[in-house]
Amino acid sequence: MSKTKRRGYYEEAYPPMPTKTTMFWRKEIFFQTYRFIVLNIKIIRIVVMGHS
Amino acid sequence: MAKIVVLGAGISGHTAAAFIKKKLGKKHEVVVVSPGSYYQWIPSNIWVGVGRMSVDQVRFKLKKVYDKWKIDFKQAKAVSIHPEGNEVINRGFVTIEYTDPEKIGETEQVDYDYLVNATGPKLNFEGTPGLGPGKNTESVCSCDHAIHAWEKLQSCIKKMEAGEKQTFLVGTGHSMATCQGAAFEYILNVAYEIRKRKLEHLAELIWITNEYELGDFGMGGAFIKRGGYITSTKVFAESFLIENGIRWIKRAGVFEIEPGKANYETLDGEKNSVEFDFSMLIPGFSGVGLKAFDKNNEDITSTIFAPNGFTKVDADYTPKDFEEWKAADWPETYRNPTYRNIFAPGIAFAPPHSISKPMKSKNGTAIFPAPPRTGMPSGVSGKIVALNIVNLVKKGEHDLKHRASMAKMGAACVVSAGFGMTKGSAATMTVFPIVQDWDKYPEWGRSIKYTMGEPGLAGHWLKWTMHYMFLHKAKGYPFWWLLPE
Ligand SMILES: Cc1cc2nc3c(=O)[nH]c(=O)nc-3n(C[C@H](O)[C@H](O)[C@H](O)COP(=O)(O)OP(=O)(O)OC[C@H]3O[C@@H](n4cnc5c(N)ncnc54)[C@H](O)[C@@H]3O)c2cc1C
Repeated sequence: MSKTKRRGYYEEAYPPMPTKTTMFWRKEIFFQTYRFIVLNIKIIRIVVMGHS
Repeated sequence: MAKIVVLGAGISGHTAAAFIKKKLGKKHEVVVVSPGSYYQWIPSNIWVGVGRMSVDQVRFKLKKVYDKWKIDFKQAKAVSIHPEGNEVINRGFVTIEYTDPEKIGETEQVDYDYLVNATGPKLNFEGTPGLGPGKNTESVCSCDHAIHAWEKLQSCIKKMEAGEKQTFLVGTGHSMATCQGAAFEYILNVAYEIRKRKLEHLAELIWITNEYELGDFGMGGAFIKRGGYITSTKVFAESFLIENGIRWIKRAGVFEIEPGKANYETLDGEKNSVEFDFSMLIPGFSGVGLKAFDKNNEDITSTIFAPNGFTKVDADYTPKDFEEWKAADWPETYRNPTYRNIFAPGIAFAPPHSISKPMKSKNGTAIFPAPPRTGMPSGVSGKIVALNIVNLVKKGEHDLKHRASMAKMGAACVVSAGFGMTKGSAATMTVFPIVQDWDKYPEWGRSIKYTMGEPGLAGHWLKWTMHYMFLHKAKGYPFWWLLPE
């Protein structure tokens, strides 16, 4: 089977694919530790705002 | 002394019972009625369904916790509500039928001053012929289902290891099913398990959904600021599927499952089918089917419950067109307008309308997701119902102070997409508010500042933390009440 992928003209061809760099940062421990803290703060903010 | 009866020991009922008892103490009585002997942390069933967690990691026995809290636990299912009592019992009561092996089948009438109906959804597998465990598809909606899904998945993996191709179909199993997030999470985890075993060349993964566009998730999608654009969750969801080698069928209402084959109708009225070796499809949800009777034993089910079986609360149920829907239509106190000592938090309350735009096929079939009610609104509504009941008991009738509308509340949803402290992955999504408020946020329906989506390892850590944090809270371990819902 040929390894060539002809992209285009089918629905699956249009969404963005992450690049190698993006994939690297998604797993990079120090960056993800920082994002973990940021995400926790964002979620806590939403929880606090949500009910009275 | 007040007696508060809570039906259901899921996220909502368990939270409500815990707070009522903590705040009211020994002087008042709290009774919980629930058919299962376990509390289960449903979101982690995904990990049971791919063999990453054992069933005992996601559940624990309720009796032990309730004994500690001095809550009377009845392992039984509620059958009917009698809000006015009858000629013998001069106040509201519930008829329950025991599922406890020691008393199985026995019935009892449990009277109350306040009733919390937190019975969640009925998993309506019967709504789609051939759907569900024991028939032609799997489910991860309960831990028992998830164990079975994992057994079936393992047998497919074995076949692939022997060189046989397998097709995996995951998504919604009814034209109006909701809970897309859970199914989405499951297909991503299945893809991860297959990839980890280097078997992806033998697997075809298909996502089937009743959403108009992917990423709708039953909440009409969301807009997110990212990469210099405001993009929709459609892009986010499609990108995730592509990255994991999953193709999709959208705008599809599954109406029948045969062995190895799902038949569906699309919004443009076509009838098609898709074949599979393994399938996990979410059923439609309805209320659990409680009946209601007045003092004279006349059926008043339609006074308390909407036609879909969910409990009517302080929402605006006037039928309206999509363009006229308002954030204010959504309930804030989850109190029944007719019988004001009945409350229904969590999934048990009847939403005023869907959040996604209603769509019909050319044949008149409604094909769109019903509104999802995830863990956070279920926990929060359980808690505010508890706090309001506590105030009613202590202060008598007054304007309820504690309020939590899904149109004023945000939700955080963590969609896991792989497992492991360094290899795991998840998409973390927050939306604010859950139900769009087009008056307050005329451009995007929600706050762009607080709505976001982000994939990465941090999301996996979050999901992992949530698993332990919420089980810690549910088990009543030290300082449980400080943990958020
Ligand atoms: C696979 C899966 C994954 C999910 N993942 C997430 C996630 O990651 N994040 C998130 O926020 N949400 C998630 N959800 C949604 C979340 O689980 C629900 O929002 C939540 O469980 C609803 O809480 P509830 O208390 O209303 O209902 P439930 O948790 O379903 O509880 C209902 C309770 O009522 C009991 N009951 C039923 N019938 C009767 C009766 N007749 N009498 C008395 N008791 C009765 C049941 O046994 C149960 O104890 C997921 C759902 C599923 C299915």
